Amino acid sequence: MASLKIKNLHKSYSSVEVLKGIDLEIEDGGFLVLVGPSGCGKSTLLNTIAGLEEITSGEIQIGGKSVEGLHPSKRDIAMVFQSYALYPNMTVAQNISFGMDIRGIDKAEQKKAIDNVSSILQIGELLDRKPSQLSGGQRQRVAMGRALVRDPQVFLFDEPLSNLDAKLRVDMRTEIKRLHARMGTTIVYVTHDQIEALTLATKIAVLKDGYLQQFGTPDEVYNDPKNVFVATFMGSPSMNLIEAVVAKKGENLVIQIASNDNNRFELPIKNIAALEDYVGKSVLFGIRPEALTDREGADRTSDQIAHQDCMIEVVEPAGSDTFAVINLGGKEAIARLRADAKITAGEQASLAFNMSKAVFFDPASTLRIR
Amino acid sequence: MTRSISQDNAVSSSRMTRALIYAVLLVFVFYYLLPLYVMVANSFKPLDEIRGGDLMALPKVWTLAPWASAWSSAQIGVEPTGLKPYFINSILIVVPAVFLSTVFGALNGYVLTKWRFKGDGIVFGMMLLSCFIPFQIVLIPAAKVLGFLGLAGTLKGLILIHFSAGIGFSTLFFRNYYAAFPTELIKAAQIDGASFFQIFRRILLPSSAPIIVVTVIWQFTNQWNDFLFGASFSGFGTTPMTVALNNLVNSSTGVKEYNVHFAGAILAALPTLLVYIVAGKYFVRGLMAGAVKG
Repeated sequence: MASLKIKNLHKSYSSVEVLKGIDLEIEDGGFLVLVGPSGCGKSTLLNTIAGLEEITSGEIQIGGKSVEGLHPSKRDIAMVFQSYALYPNMTVAQNISFGMDIRGIDKAEQKKAIDNVSSILQIGELLDRKPSQLSGGQRQRVAMGRALVRDPQVFLFDEPLSNLDAKLRVDMRTEIKRLHARMGTTIVYVTHDQIEALTLATKIAVLKDGYLQQFGTPDEVYNDPKNVFVATFMGSPSMNLIEAVVAKKGENLVIQIASNDNNRFELPIKNIAALEDYVGKSVLFGIRPEALTDREGADRTSDQIAHQDCMIEVVEPAGSDTFAVINLGGKEAIARLRADAKITAGEQASLAFNMSKAVFFDPASTLRIR
Repeated sequence: MTRSISQDNAVSSSRMTRALIYAVLLVFVFYYLLPLYVMVANSFKPLDEIRGGDLMALPKVWTLAPWASAWSSAQIGVEPTGLKPYFINSILIVVPAVFLSTVFGALNGYVLTKWRFKGDGIVFGMMLLSCFIPFQIVLIPAAKVLGFLGLAGTLKGLILIHFSAGIGFSTLFFRNYYAAFPTELIKAAQIDGASFFQIFRRILLPSSAPIIVVTVIWQFTNQWNDFLFGASFSGFGTTPMTVALNNLVNSSTGVKEYNVHFAGAILAALPTLLVYIVAGKYFVRGLMAGAVKG
C-alpha cells in the first residue's frame, strides 16, 4: 500500500499535448477515480502511472518515491485492463501465475498464491479453463485475480466494467468496492461513467481536454462543482442550467427567470457575496433535478425552499421517480418528483426549488460564482 | 452452435441448380487433374510405349524404372547422378531459409506492431517493396553482395538469398496478423515483468499457429519452386532441384526419356504437394483468420 502523487504532469505525442499539467494526490488506501469524456486523457494518465507510456515532464511518485524511468514491472503496481487482456493461450491458473513464473517464484508458492486469490474471487473451479471458455463476468474476475496476486502498492483499473452488461456491471461495482474495503490497497480507477465514479471513489478527478477540471471528494464534485463542465458531467439527469438575471430586492438578492408565458418570476438566493457584483447582469443558475421537486417531496432539512408555479410540458414516470420537463428561462429543465406526485402534462403545478442547493456560474468564463 | 451457423449460411437451392453446380465443379476438377494424370500415367510407362503414341492411355506394362532412373541414375548435365543429390541440396537450402524467414518475419511483425518506433512505417513500406520488386532487378547487386561475403556458389549464399527475398512477405503476413493482436496483452505482460523475447515467445508465438502455417507454406512453395536464384547463384555442388530438373529435361545427348522426365517432375513437385496436404486446412483457416469475428 502506498500513496500516489502526481506533480505537474505533461504528456505530448509529437505536437499534440494530451495531458496539460495534472496535479493529483491520493492517500494510502484511497480510491481515486479518473473520470471524463472520451479523449480527455484519463487512460493516458493511467498508462503513465503504470509506466506503459513515458511522460514528457512532471513527476509521479508512488509511496513517496519517484518512479521515473522505472519499468512497469518494477513500479509495484497491478493493472486490470478494459479488455481484461487475459493471455489466450494459457489457462486461468497460468494467467494468474504468469508474473510469478517470470520472476522465478517456485511452483509451491505459486500454487498457494493462486489458491488464495481464487478463494477470494471464487474462481476456484475455473482454474483449468482457457479464457475463451469463460463468460464476461468470469473473465473480469480472472483479470482482477491476476492483479490481486501481485499484491501491489497500487491497483490500476482501466474501465474494467465497460464491457459488461448493465446488471453485471452493478454487481461487479459493488464487488470492487467490497474488495477495496477488504484489501485497503490504493486504487486508481478510470471510467467515463459518472455513477461509477461517485459510488466508488474516495477522491474524484474530473478531466477534460487534458486539463484537470476538479479534484475532490464525490460530495464536493457533485454538490460543489467548480465549473459548468463538472456540474453537467456529474449527475444523471444532468444539472439544469438556466439563464437568470440577478436583482436586488431590499437587502436581499434574487434571481429573475423568464417563464414560458413571457412573465418573469423571482427566486430568493442565499448569501453568496460574489453575486453582488452581478446585480443587473445575467448568470447561469444551476439546479439539480432532485432539488427541483413537488411541494411534498421537498427536502425538509433545507432552510431555503422557494415555491413557484410552473407549466408541466412532459411527464416521464420512471418507476421510483417521476420526471417532469418544464420550461425555465427559455430552456428545458427537468424536475424530479415523487413517483406518485399528482401532476399532469399541460397543466400548472407548484414546484419546490431547494435554493440551498442552487449554484451559479459566470456565463462567459463558465466558472462558479461563490 | 455450428448447426445454427451452417443454417444461417445455407443458401436454399433447388435440385436443378445443385446438379448444375456439381457438374461445373466436376468439369473443373477434371480439367485440373488432367495434367497430373498425364504425368503420373506416363511416368510408369516404358519409353517405347510413350513413343508408340497415346499420351492419355494407361500403361500396358507398369514399370518403376523411370522413377528409379530419375531419382538415382539419370544424366543431369554431365553427371549420371539422378535428381537425388539435388533434392538434398534443395532441402538443405529451403529448410533453413524457410525457418529463418519465418522467424524473422514474426519478429519484424512483432516490432512493427507492438514496439512502434519513429519511421516504422517507412521501414515496413520498404519491406513491402521487396514483395513486389521483380527479382531479376536485384540479380547483379545480389551477386556482388554474395561475392563480397565470399558466399558465391555456396549453400549458405542461396539460403541468404532466399531468406532476404522471403522476409518481405513473411513480415507482411505477421505484421497484419499481429496488428489485430490486442496490444493490452503486451502491456499486461510488461506489467507482469516479461521481457521483449519472453512476450514474443510466451504470449505472441503460441497464438500465431495459423499465420506460421500460412507463412511456411508460402515460403516453402516459393523457395522450393525457385529457378531464377538457383540458376544464377548455385555452384556445381549446390544446384537445387528445379535447376537439375531443367538440366535433366534439356540434356541434349541421347534420346529424350519422357517417362523419366515425368517422374522427375513429379519428384520435384512432391514436397510442396506434401506440405499442402499436411497443412492445407490450416492454410485456408489462416487466410480466413480475422475475417470472421468470434
